[in-house]
Amino acid sequence: MNLLNVIWAEMKKSHRHNFNNRLMYFSLFVWPVIQFVDSYYAFKPFNLGQDSPLSRFVPVEKLGLFLITGCLAYIFFWSLVQSAWMMGYEREQGTLEIILLTPAPRTLVMFSRAAANLLEAVWLFSIFAVLTILFMGGLHVAHWWLIPIAVVILMLSAIVWGGFLNTIFLFSRDAGFLYTIFEAPMAFFSGVRMPVMAFPLWAKMIAYAFPLTFVLNILRSIVLDGKNLSAIFQPLLELFLILLCLIIASFILVRYAEKHAKETGNLTLF
Amino acid sequence: MLEAKKLVKYYTMKEKSGWFARKKQQIKAVNGLDLTIKRGEIVGLLGVNGAGKTTTIKMLSTLLAPTSGTLSIDGIDALQQPEAIKRRINMIAGGERMLYWRLSARENLMYFGRLYGLRGSALKNQCDELIKKVGLAESADRPVERYSKGMKQRLQIARGLINDPDYLFLDEPTLGLDAPVARQLRGMVKDLAKKKNKGILLTSHYLEEVEELCDHVYIIEKGHLLLHDTPTRIIQTIVKDRILLVVMDRLTQEDWTWLRQELDNRGIHTQKNETDEGTQLDMTAPFDLTAQFIALTHQRNFHLLRLESKKPNLEDAIIRLAEERELL
Repeated sequence: MNLLNVIWAEMKKSHRHNFNNRLMYFSLFVWPVIQFVDSYYAFKPFNLGQDSPLSRFVPVEKLGLFLITGCLAYIFFWSLVQSAWMMGYEREQGTLEIILLTPAPRTLVMFSRAAANLLEAVWLFSIFAVLTILFMGGLHVAHWWLIPIAVVILMLSAIVWGGFLNTIFLFSRDAGFLYTIFEAPMAFFSGVRMPVMAFPLWAKMIAYAFPLTFVLNILRSIVLDGKNLSAIFQPLLELFLILLCLIIASFILVRYAEKHAKETGNLTLF
Repeated sequence: MLEAKKLVKYYTMKEKSGWFARKKQQIKAVNGLDLTIKRGEIVGLLGVNGAGKTTTIKMLSTLLAPTSGTLSIDGIDALQQPEAIKRRINMIAGGERMLYWRLSARENLMYFGRLYGLRGSALKNQCDELIKKVGLAESADRPVERYSKGMKQRLQIARGLINDPDYLFLDEPTLGLDAPVARQLRGMVKDLAKKKNKGILLTSHYLEEVEELCDHVYIIEKGHLLLHDTPTRIIQTIVKDRILLVVMDRLTQEDWTWLRQELDNRGIHTQKNETDEGTQLDMTAPFDLTAQFIALTHQRNFHLLRLESKKPNLEDAIIRLAEERELL
């Protein structure tokens, strides 16, 4: 089974099925922009001077960059929570059963589905984010070739995360509650708007349960702090280990979910 | 050949029996079913709702795991090697689900084709050919949500053939379709078996359809096999009666008394109705009674207006079987 063939199939399907209406792009653009503007101006009434508590964790002159990188990475991850949530439709429409009738490798389908939805959901806001970053200035990059690496890390991490979520949504028609678990807590604890280092210990522990936290750490180290590859080696290794765990877990869970569905016949329950 | 032996499927249902307590209940959907499908033949699977037809089809399709039993397709163990089996089978269900409504017929076929590993010109040609075969060429690029029920069903057939399966399982494929479309689909199913040498399993509530298409039929009840034979032999075994419907000039009381006596003596059960046309007799006997009845009418010069000898069909057989089962 050709990997690209399955990814291409999922891309074409999700483009026609999930992004059928152009207003969808409008919402995918406007919502994160509002979120960014909201975050930015939420800080404005407070003391943002060099003596502010925030300045201990984020250089205040780079607050805009800190927030836009946070929003950009968050939208990558959040769009895949939404995409996983759409698995309910596949179950209801019976197409999930037909997918499982084919010999296509299930884990590959789950990750391809994530990859297909990701590109479509983020490209518009990504352009906005890049333009905003260029407009604001203040980038501090050790090597410019680290930027495409950062983008690849961001994309791969989001795809692994999305594939894992798709797998979880295979289990039950009631997996929708995960949407609530992953949406707001991920936005808060992963350090999208607040630096994780400013959190108390208990919140830091939750923060490191989300791969987004590691991705943001690496992304900001590259574009804000001007760190080179050797300086980000440790967080990269940590992220790699987390993603590896998610891939292995997805592989095991897909097999278990299919076995469970075959035993209980729960794919037809919706 | 597809061979299922002693297939059993039990479902465990959990029902609330308190705030946190759940009561487990085991439901036997299929209980020791043996079934064989050869290439080039159409096999019917009949039974009332809840008999286990869909569960059986899903086990054969590898979508459900049997609780016990064996299933092999062309010598390959379907339970051990489901991935190898999936390339050789496909399933088509009646109704409007199992398709992406916002995608066109072509896009649906391309998507599912890719999941079977097809690509490039092979995929395109297969899609074009199937679209043509099911008569959707003119609307191939229109979203499925704008299709009629019959068009969606035709697309389901095309989807089920995308991997050119050796065995095809059809679960109520003509459900809710109007007569011309259903006839067209029946023709297509017959061609697939007889011309393309595919083994087909068909469930349907339309018994004329099963009688017309199937080489042999399995009748199941509550997961058990009740009967397995050709439709003709099932009818002959279960419904032994022949029915003769006659309309004749109105009979006098004297003629009717005589005729009834003669028919009773021959073991012919008769029911008389007076209609605007004349006297109508519905006669039933365990043999062909036409010749005997005509001989009787000659004796008294009765004037026959209409005579119809009715052969029992599969529906009569199933109804009779159901009645007998209820009596037991």
